[in-house]
Amino acid sequence: MNKVCVLGAGSTNYGKLKEDIIEIALTASVEAIKSAGISPKDIGAGYISNVFGIADKQVHMAPVIMSNLGISHVPGLTIESACGSGSVMFREAYANVAAGFYDCVLAVGVEKVTHTGTAQSTTLFSYCSDFFYEGGNGASFPGLFASIARYYMTKYKADEEDLAYVAVKNHDNGLLNPKAHMRKRITIQDVINSPVVASPLKLLDCCPFSDGASAVILCNEEFAKKSNRPYIEVIGSGRGGSPASVQGREDISTIPSTVIAAKQAYKMAGITPEDVDFAEVHDCFTIAEIIDVEDLGFFPKGKAAKEIREGATSRKGRIPINPSGGLKSKGHPIGATGIGQVAEVYDQLTGKAGERTINDAKIALTHNFGATGASAAVHLFKKVE
Amino acid sequence: MSEFLHLGLREKFISAARKSNILARECKNCKSIMLETTIYCPKCQGDKFNLVEYMGIGKVNTFTIHTVPPEGFDDVESYAWVVFTLDEVPLRVSGFLPGIKFPSELPIGSKVQVIGFDERHGLLLHKL
Repeated sequence: MNKVCVLGAGSTNYGKLKEDIIEIALTASVEAIKSAGISPKDIGAGYISNVFGIADKQVHMAPVIMSNLGISHVPGLTIESACGSGSVMFREAYANVAAGFYDCVLAVGVEKVTHTGTAQSTTLFSYCSDFFYEGGNGASFPGLFASIARYYMTKYKADEEDLAYVAVKNHDNGLLNPKAHMRKRITIQDVINSPVVASPLKLLDCCPFSDGASAVILCNEEFAKKSNRPYIEVIGSGRGGSPASVQGREDISTIPSTVIAAKQAYKMAGITPEDVDFAEVHDCFTIAEIIDVEDLGFFPKGKAAKEIREGATSRKGRIPINPSGGLKSKGHPIGATGIGQVAEVYDQLTGKAGERTINDAKIALTHNFGATGASAAVHLFKKVE
Repeated sequence: MSEFLHLGLREKFISAARKSNILARECKNCKSIMLETTIYCPKCQGDKFNLVEYMGIGKVNTFTIHTVPPEGFDDVESYAWVVFTLDEVPLRVSGFLPGIKFPSELPIGSKVQVIGFDERHGLLLHKL
């Protein structure tokens, strides 16, 4: 396999955007192309991740994006894997460059849902569940994670304040991210006192519905070296699956797809969780981040809540988690999220992250899953000196 | 079980639920129990099964009460979405339990029973 590098990255702001879904995708794509110092003619293929394009009257998005970039002859592929679409798409782009099919590709994730309103967005997201058993029985996505939270809290004696610490930390990080959706400092009491969405989860335990796009340029090492631009190397890639429904899992306090994907990625990179300097993880709800950091091997099962309270995952902690603000504060345009995580890692490891830079970081991890973790991908990246 | 022969997998599950039962499959090879809607055994990949109907009674493992329900569930004043394990076999099922307003009304371990299948709200439960 060829070594694969990330040569450039771009993102729109995340939040409520007025532009249509194609304009949003193009804005991020052009920023990534400029960041990489390439021309669209250098792109051998386009990979697009999106879930609810139909809500903005556009499916089969890849050829539309390629045409607008003036490269209509370049093949494109649109990939959907619920909230994990971006990382699953990144894996396909990575695999194609690693296999030698292309020297350089564009990977862009995009979503636009805020115009549909909370009720319709809640309904659309419920279609990402195992609908016969979950959405069809009245479970919303906050509801599914609320049931996971209650199970975890019962098993490990965690409480609602433990969840709130995740939200407060990620909002602190998001304040330093000019593209974040929710740039607002919050307190533990703000979270505890926010309205219940699906007990035990409150409004401030939940990420927002966001619009936005992120794009990265992947290429082989030879292409990256010739560019004379800063780049990072992909050193590990893993994917895993879980029972699609919460009821199908032996232990509801863990997400099997994360564990499987992480093991693959660590093995491929030849490293352990202790070697990772920071991580962008899938914190769609506060409980998800607690479970993620255990499943990724940063903390033993049942211990993360205490470590998070003591600051182990803050920007200056032992293993900083979500320096971008995560889904919770940066936002969660679901088709874009997985690529947005890679864009953050690119910015961090190439000195472009400004005030939120994690000092001396050399190795970073991204973790992104679909639905309640029915599918997941983990990637590892290395700074290139 | 000949009454189920003409039905699709999900229709069979719904038909059993309307009799307050959960229809499951027992793998003829490894004896694992799974829901009727599973086609291959997750443990041994066997595809030969005995159909078994279990009483739809079990204990609550976890649940949530929605304040912001998805569309189609906003006609109910309050409900819990519940994951429970059947009493007869260690098989988890999830369903819709109307009338629950506060978490204190449904301690973990509470008993629930399947009482039907509703076109709008799915697998209907009742708290025992």
